[in-house]
Amino acid sequence: MRPDVGGAANALIDRARRGDARAFEQLAIEIERPLYRHAARMLGHDDAEDVVQDALLSAWKSLASFEGTSFRAWVFRIVTNRALDRLRSRRRHPELPLDPPTENDDSASWAEPAAPGPELADLAADREALRVVEDALATIPADQRAALLLRDVEGFAYEEIATITSTEIGTVKSRIHRGRLAVRNILISRGWRGSGG
Amino acid sequence: MHPFGDLSAYLDEALSPEARASVQAHLDTCALCRTRLAELRGTARLIAALPMPVPSRSLVPRVSIPIWVAPLRTFSTFASGAAILVFLASAALSSFPRMTSAGSAPAAAPAPNTLSAPQASSGAAAASSTLRPQDFNPAAPSPAPAPNTDQLRVPVTQPSGAKEVGRVDATASPSIAYDAATRTYQAEPAQPGFAVSPWLWLVLGIAFGALSVILGRRLRSA
Repeated sequence: MRPDVGGAANALIDRARRGDARAFEQLAIEIERPLYRHAARMLGHDDAEDVVQDALLSAWKSLASFEGTSFRAWVFRIVTNRALDRLRSRRRHPELPLDPPTENDDSASWAEPAAPGPELADLAADREALRVVEDALATIPADQRAALLLRDVEGFAYEEIATITSTEIGTVKSRIHRGRLAVRNILISRGWRGSGG
Repeated sequence: MHPFGDLSAYLDEALSPEARASVQAHLDTCALCRTRLAELRGTARLIAALPMPVPSRSLVPRVSIPIWVAPLRTFSTFASGAAILVFLASAALSSFPRMTSAGSAPAAAPAPNTLSAPQASSGAAAASSTLRPQDFNPAAPSPAPAPNTDQLRVPVTQPSGAKEVGRVDATASPSIAYDAATRTYQAEPAQPGFAVSPWLWLVLGIAFGALSVILGRRLRSA
């Protein structure tokens, strides 16, 4: 359920903004799993729980300042910012910048399949393919990963992602394309070939 | 020129109508771009199909519960356990002298009750001049009649009060000294700080336990 969709959710948000703690807890319960899913793919499981809990507590404390129309996007913004901050402080991959300067998206390289493999479109149920995708997501820059997850997993529109990540729509478009292309190239390098359809 | 950079936005329907029409026109004539678009679509589907990780605990902060509830529940739990332990210890200590006297009375009391009336009265006066028997029995909830203190002897070190009584009795006859010493030993547990009924600890333990249960239900219901 998307907590910012529907009159009941809006009523909950209004009650929470007026200080109704139980209304906020109900909103948080509905959005807890997606937030954790996003944070876990950004950070890994260990830090994700702490980040989500801290973000929800921060959201409760600053709820009076929430003036937007999408409570869900607002909370995702808090979680995403905290996840990116933690990644910056962690410096686990100092050689991998969050969003390295790159060439034009049109000239980004497209890897060719090394050998014939299964159709990408048929791999969704393949556990091995999903593991490869997870590994591929972990190797791309964090800003690209955040934008790609917000789009492909959480279903946010480009405008919402721009708000969540505090960037321009053009930047969002570039990050999503480059992140998606990087994952595609890793899959191709593992022997799969893209669908010709 | 291939519009590779716009393919993801085209896939996500994030292009302006003009840009979208342009890409669509190109796709109609370019097999390579159709292949790339299909690859990106397949990649997006794979990403969307990733299994959902589940947190190991609830991540929702209990903002509807006052901040002092959880610490108070922890305190109540420990206080309940401590009070019950004290109750059990008090009950054991209060029953220990009776058990000991019951086992040692035949051998340790050759003829303590054979004191003559004056001896008994003087010995009793020596003891009662400093301490009263009912003040020394922490297990006695009420000033019940004093037991036969001649048969209740506790093997403890002699307190300072005993020395004073002992000096007085040193000038008396041996039987009186024995009597006074016996009474003095019997009076040793007289520590007013512990003169609390063990049942009070049990009541406290039950009260704290009930408080802990109530607060626990409050935490779980949130």
